[in-house]
Amino acid sequence: MAEALALSMVAATFALILAGYPIAFTLAGSAIIFAGLGILAGVFNPALFGALPSRIFGTAMTNEVLMAVPLFIFMGLVLERSRIAEDLMIALSELLSHRPGGMGYAVFGVGALLAASTGIVGATVVTMGLIALPAMLQRGYNSGLVAGSIAAAGTLGQIIPPSIVLIILGDQLANGYAEAQRALGNFAPEPLTVGDLFAGAVIPGFLLVMLYAGYLWVVVRIRPDCAPPAKARIRPHQPPLERSLPCRRVVVSALLAPLALIACVLGSILGGIATPTEAAAIGAVGALLMAANRLDPSYGLWLPVTIGALLLIAMGVAGRDMGGSLETPSLLVAGVGVLLLARALIRGIRVLLSAPLDGDKTADHTLGAIMDGTLRMTAMVFAILIGASVFALVFRGLGGDHMVEELMSNLPGGKTGAVVVVMVMIFVLGFFLDFIEITFVVIPIVSPILFAIGVDPVWFGIMVAINLQTSFLTPPFGFALFYLRGVAPVSVSTAQIYRGVAPFVCLQLLMLLVLAAIPELATWFPAVIYGTR
Amino acid sequence: MAKVAVLIRIADVIDGINRLVGRVVAWMTLGLVLVAFGVVVLRYVFGIGLIQLQEAAVYQHGLILTLGAGYTLLKDGHVRVDILYGRMGERRRALVNLLGVLILLLPMCILVMGYAWPYVAQSWRILEGSREASGLPVLYVLKTGILAFAGLLAMQGIAVALRAVHYLATVLPMQGRHDG
Repeated sequence: MAEALALSMVAATFALILAGYPIAFTLAGSAIIFAGLGILAGVFNPALFGALPSRIFGTAMTNEVLMAVPLFIFMGLVLERSRIAEDLMIALSELLSHRPGGMGYAVFGVGALLAASTGIVGATVVTMGLIALPAMLQRGYNSGLVAGSIAAAGTLGQIIPPSIVLIILGDQLANGYAEAQRALGNFAPEPLTVGDLFAGAVIPGFLLVMLYAGYLWVVVRIRPDCAPPAKARIRPHQPPLERSLPCRRVVVSALLAPLALIACVLGSILGGIATPTEAAAIGAVGALLMAANRLDPSYGLWLPVTIGALLLIAMGVAGRDMGGSLETPSLLVAGVGVLLLARALIRGIRVLLSAPLDGDKTADHTLGAIMDGTLRMTAMVFAILIGASVFALVFRGLGGDHMVEELMSNLPGGKTGAVVVVMVMIFVLGFFLDFIEITFVVIPIVSPILFAIGVDPVWFGIMVAINLQTSFLTPPFGFALFYLRGVAPVSVSTAQIYRGVAPFVCLQLLMLLVLAAIPELATWFPAVIYGTR
Repeated sequence: MAKVAVLIRIADVIDGINRLVGRVVAWMTLGLVLVAFGVVVLRYVFGIGLIQLQEAAVYQHGLILTLGAGYTLLKDGHVRVDILYGRMGERRRALVNLLGVLILLLPMCILVMGYAWPYVAQSWRILEGSREASGLPVLYVLKTGILAFAGLLAMQGIAVALRAVHYLATVLPMQGRHDG
């Protein structure tokens, strides 16, 4: 009886979600209906709900790992709103457009750089869709190829660290891993961290970019008319040499901001210095300063900030060597650094407060739009976490977890069979749901089972992350397609977008196969920098 | 007609409350960034771990996600699967939203409210503070965020439902009358 209820609950929830009511509340509401039926049938104990408040409080409100989510969202929105991403796109395409397929490579380059600085799929796809898409169509690029490239490059933000997918996934996998280890009798296991997943994603993320570029290279060889080189120079009046000099300077300055952020944020996480949450705070402040510099040329950011940051880093390193305590002279130096940074920060916030918005009615100034966007996206993500907790609680209360466990342990092929089933399930769910729901609902149920039978957590995490990244590209509910449709001109049909993205979905699947065959691609790097588990 | 206008006025008041909450809480996102950055600088440069500051960041995070839920519903910012919803007309959308509030959203809010009430009340009774000696002494305020989450969300849900009822009961029949 209980198991029949658990099964029909999954089916009913899925049907209700398709009706279009917000997923967070559908998950919870549908579970409550089935909990009610379970109580009537005497197979569900309502006292289980007693764990709900402490779960909301512990896993959402005071979860310091997930605190990185609003910080990274803030950082990504700052980069988008301040046009830093836009500059990067323009600079790189000017640099590469004279080559066959050049603007396509520029799109992948921008996608990868934005992904490595933070990477919010919506923001990246919209930026590139608004700037690169029309320019590429104008130059005679095949519209399907353009749409597929932009959508795929936008999703790189989900696999290349730091990424919000990896944070949420890492948090859920860590719980599953600890649970599995406890079940095996290991009460003090080496914990799985978000940092492990970040490190594990570096090589597969890089390989994906290479795969995309390789695909483009092949297409350009076979059908050169798909991605022709620019016929005219961008500024035809100037001789090539004169043009190239200032252009190079533009490219360097446009590249500098994202590269500096990548060095700070990713470097400090992979170097094992800072936690993802701490790195996210540094990145958000860094992005704020760069945005102010971009929006107000008279701001004069580089000198004081660089000096201030260098002083702080130097004193930080010195303090570490002396076991954390600073002598008076170093304290004074560090104090000067703090003052320089604080002054720059206050002025930066002022710049963002006075920067007007074009065509946005939700806020009066750029900073307002950034804060408002951060608030809404954060509330949206965590509402799903809360809805999914209710769902998971009822599913477990009805014995659904035992059912899944039994099913998975009786699969032919043992470990491999179980992983294949989970991957196929996530892929199929990805057509309808996005990564947040899949992570919060599926991972807590399947991951303890998989880890208990010896699946490597980092490898599995990266496999799931690539799979979830693919879900952004699979119609009808692929977020990247959705955003691209929103900004693409009417001349690009939805069918063209779907066709253009299909080869990239195949590349994603190819990457999954490669990673399945060579797990070391994901597990080698974390082992090198953090030691083996 | 007057009765219907009352419904809309109630919905407007609720919208106003959540809009105000959203405006205030939005500043906490900047606050979170600055406080979290301050924690990093103090810890890595000066070797100081200020638990109060660390907790101030956590409090803001917790309040952003709980107090922002109702405002996000007001702005229709909670993700939907819009395969079907995107193609629906006004009438069907109003129906989905009305039924969604009644059978999904409100039960969830009532459940969370019902089970969180004793949990939060207990925290208030003992004026629960941080587990750390030097932490912030107002943990009960943060825990109240769970009630605010359910309350603000339920209120906004009621506003959505009232507008849907208004649409289905007045706007639609009037359009129909014009057609006929």
